[in-house]
Amino acid sequence: MAATTVPENTTQGHARRPTRPAGRTAGTGTRRKVKNNLQAHGFLIGAVLCFLMFSWYPMVREFIMSFQQKKRGVTSWVGFKNLDRVYHDPYFWTAWKNTAQFTLYALVIGFAVPFVVAIVLNELRHAQAYLRVLVYLPVMLPPVAGVLLFKYFYNPDYGLFNHVLKSLHLPTSQWLDSSHTAMISVVIAATWMNMGSATLIYLAALQNIPGELYEAADLDGAGLWSKIWHVTIPQTRLVLSMMLLLQIVATMQEFTNVYLLTGGNGPQNSTMTVVYMVYQYAFSYNNFGSAAALGLFLLLVLAAFSGVYARLSRNSD
Amino acid sequence: MAASFTSQNRTLISPAALSRPRGRLVYRIVLTVVIVVFTLVFLGPLYWMATGGFKSAQEVVANPPTFFPHHPKPGNYHTAWSQLQIARLLFNTLYYAFGALAFQLVFDVAAAYAISKLRPVLGKLILGAMLATLMIPATVLIVPQYMTVLDLPVLHVNLIGTPWAIWLPTVANGFNIFLLKRFFDSIPEDLMHAAAIDGASPLRTLWSIVLPMSRPILGVVSIFAVVNVWKDFLWPMLVEPDPKKQPINIGIRSLSQGVPENVLIAALAISALPTLLIFLLFQRNIMSGLTAGSLKG
Amino acid sequence: MSGIGYRRLVAVALVAGIGLTGAACSDSKKDDSGSKAAGSSAGTPLDPKTKVTISVDCEPPTTKPAERKQWTDDVAEFNKTYPNVTVKSKDAFPCEDPAKFTAMLQAGSETDSYYTYMTDLQQVLDAGQAADISAYVNDRTVPNLKDIDPGVLGVLKDGGKLYGLPTSNYQMGLIYNRKIFQDAGLDPNKPPTTWDEVRQDAKTIQDKLGSKGINGYMDNSAGNQGGWHLVSEMYGVGSKAVDDSGQKAAFNNDQTKSVLQSLHDMRWTDKSMPATPGLQWGDVQKAMGTGKIGMYVGAPDDIPLVVQQYKAKFEDIGMAPIPGGKTALFGGADYMFKKSDTPDQIKAGIAWVNFKFLTLEKGQFNYPRNKTDGLPVGLPQPFFFTGASKAKDTETKTANATVPVENFKTYVDAQVPVLPEPPNAQKIYTVLDTVMSGVLTNKNADISKLLSTAETQVNSLLAASQ
Repeated sequence: MAATTVPENTTQGHARRPTRPAGRTAGTGTRRKVKNNLQAHGFLIGAVLCFLMFSWYPMVREFIMSFQQKKRGVTSWVGFKNLDRVYHDPYFWTAWKNTAQFTLYALVIGFAVPFVVAIVLNELRHAQAYLRVLVYLPVMLPPVAGVLLFKYFYNPDYGLFNHVLKSLHLPTSQWLDSSHTAMISVVIAATWMNMGSATLIYLAALQNIPGELYEAADLDGAGLWSKIWHVTIPQTRLVLSMMLLLQIVATMQEFTNVYLLTGGNGPQNSTMTVVYMVYQYAFSYNNFGSAAALGLFLLLVLAAFSGVYARLSRNSD
Repeated sequence: MAASFTSQNRTLISPAALSRPRGRLVYRIVLTVVIVVFTLVFLGPLYWMATGGFKSAQEVVANPPTFFPHHPKPGNYHTAWSQLQIARLLFNTLYYAFGALAFQLVFDVAAAYAISKLRPVLGKLILGAMLATLMIPATVLIVPQYMTVLDLPVLHVNLIGTPWAIWLPTVANGFNIFLLKRFFDSIPEDLMHAAAIDGASPLRTLWSIVLPMSRPILGVVSIFAVVNVWKDFLWPMLVEPDPKKQPINIGIRSLSQGVPENVLIAALAISALPTLLIFLLFQRNIMSGLTAGSLKG
Repeated sequence: MSGIGYRRLVAVALVAGIGLTGAACSDSKKDDSGSKAAGSSAGTPLDPKTKVTISVDCEPPTTKPAERKQWTDDVAEFNKTYPNVTVKSKDAFPCEDPAKFTAMLQAGSETDSYYTYMTDLQQVLDAGQAADISAYVNDRTVPNLKDIDPGVLGVLKDGGKLYGLPTSNYQMGLIYNRKIFQDAGLDPNKPPTTWDEVRQDAKTIQDKLGSKGINGYMDNSAGNQGGWHLVSEMYGVGSKAVDDSGQKAAFNNDQTKSVLQSLHDMRWTDKSMPATPGLQWGDVQKAMGTGKIGMYVGAPDDIPLVVQQYKAKFEDIGMAPIPGGKTALFGGADYMFKKSDTPDQIKAGIAWVNFKFLTLEKGQFNYPRNKTDGLPVGLPQPFFFTGASKAKDTETKTANATVPVENFKTYVDAQVPVLPEPPNAQKIYTVLDTVMSGVLTNKNADISKLLSTAETQVNSLLAASQ
């Protein structure tokens, strides 16, 4: 999940639209303009080339590959065959359902938990540094170390978690081994490993809330929940919505945790996500055309989602 | 104690509520609970990892688990270090991470600077196209990206197995551009203008005016750059097939299939150590960098 | 693609080489095999004077020091005959990871001679990466050729052309813990041969040793391992996975149902299986190695793994033929040669593979050395030799045996006819995972319904991959 920082003042940048860009001196001859432009593009070229090769071109290529097939080293056009094939894959809808489920869990757990933790941490006057360091520690682990460690904990026989549950006289779980709990176990592990970044970002946002707002709310006799609802959340709305978007985009592409924790498919294919299916088509079934076609589906869904998001956030401004 | 209550910005709970005896009691309880729970949740697993590495093959899978190794076997760590060649895996990771960092700093800073301050023709369009990639998770494009790296368009070079396959794609990071551009936007135009009048070239302006002012955001971008490479899994797994060149994530994952569980856990502990140490040593800088950068961006 | 045979074989096969990665970009994709293989001298062995460099993968990793040293020594010995051949070794563990292998084929970054699973041939041909070695392989370049099981060589052929040389092979059987059998009062020399007997013995073990956390039997349910096991098990009772045309599922029948019913009853009625089925490769092996289960279905290369990695004892592990004994799923590994190799590189590669893997008393068949190095001698694989070579191999193997050969006697003597994995094996396994998982995790599973759903899904998968 993407670690992120978010600028607070969106308006600032627009407000200070300068009258004259730097690097352009008084003389505005055409030649000078050309020269300035060349110079500017010189600064841009490295990044643009990288975007071109590793981002923009692959997008186009994804589209092209969706209609191609490679057999015996020969590439040919196959029309909608790839799209048709992935659409009729018996696990097409399973994968979408799992992805949606993962996203939902990630929102409930992965999105809410860091926010709550940030609110609590922000209220504490002691041990702040210690607690922050603690929350951020897992981010520093190599993810494979974190994931494999959790896998060890999740073991139903000798794992730590079941042992702790047992000693507390709580019911134990099959964790990754049951189709009912596998996905949520993955989300818990992912949240543990990644919540540090989000928590720090929320903390920063919380500290930026003017204290007067709370004081005013106190004068109005607002309770704790009311203050959170009417002051804290509106004041951090921008950060929250940005994080929400990033979180959703990030969860849609979940691969690593699922791959390492359940081997990808999971019990009764309960953790098979769309991205894992893309990976399988490409690298297990050696069918890059169909993999690209499935990727195209995902691309379209995300584009639609982003469009809706952009519209909603514009309306609410 | 009263002083520490007021020394901070006003937050959700009013200082008045906290200074009442009942408020204090509740605060004390909450504080204790939070400290205990956080310690268990975030340090507990690490303790389990470190001690697990000392357990014997039987003890590490014993039911019920043991809370400390009964017959410590430091040899596990030695086996993990020497046989799994963790030193090389760590070196590879750092090599990829700092290479990626260098490329991102050079190319992304230059690009964000150009878009923010030099405003070339089509600059907005390019920025839009760069930001649009934020909406598309990298993993979705993994297949065409892989095909591209196999045979770069125009150049027809195969980058698989070379560090370039990791370094260059990291430059195509819309988020960096976004952060940097926003920050550069906030640098007063007057400064730029003055420099231009003095006859400073754009490069010079960037070097001696913009960059020194941008330390916080450069810090943030650097942390993200390194962390992203540190965390990446699928891409390096595909583009670095040679075990000698793999970063730690991939190396440990493939070794995890061939070694006993206790040695594996020792290997996990070793692999976690360097960054944890770096983090603990520099946590003040890193934390303040992250928070400052995210705020003042 | 590769059977889930997957990490199979890793314990047995040894090999190596720094890849000349990236050597072949666009040129390797052109179809130019004809011109290269056509040389009139293709059939002659490599001239020792030829100066040539080959990269070879699957060198044993540093975590297996003895095997690695053997490999290095073998390269040195090989260089006595061919001083001008430079062998660049590249290590990996496991030798082939299917996903990485696919990526490598796409990149054309495989080594000049490269390790593959026997089921990979179609994929390699699709990627256009295999050299046709028919003209290169004969009694002079591979002296033991006539004694290699034609059935094994057949798997490496397509359209009458030969693309690979075998290095190891196996067939599925029943691996069991003799000590647990003994402790439960069963006769370790009489392993079960049918599913009814498996169930019975598992129940006995459970009743006697269940209190010590030992289960009678264990099976897989996910990660394509479940499907792979189910196919092995249905083969055992005489069912096929797909029909001969390769386009229709053939497993929805009484034989398969009976296997699933036995598994279901063991899990739910007798409770002689652990509550958690194996989810990934390694789970059942670990359970066997740590003495938690009495039996599971597996391949003989699991045995050294179970011993070396999980510290079981060789004398405790026995192997029996697959329950039912009708047909056994088989698989194995081989070396193929990159299409862009020069004729000399192909010749050198063949010479190396021949020396390391196909010459009696050398390389992998150097049993006295294996014995000295503490590697197991006497395991029932590879077994691709027939006739005189087989007799001689058995003789030297028995003379140097370090593991009790009699533990595998029932397995070796059974001579179960073999069947290869079905086409599109991995996809079929994914579907069949659901069947296994249904039976092993749902007490009220409807076996007929699970099978007919799986049948429909496999049929549509097979239709779509035409």
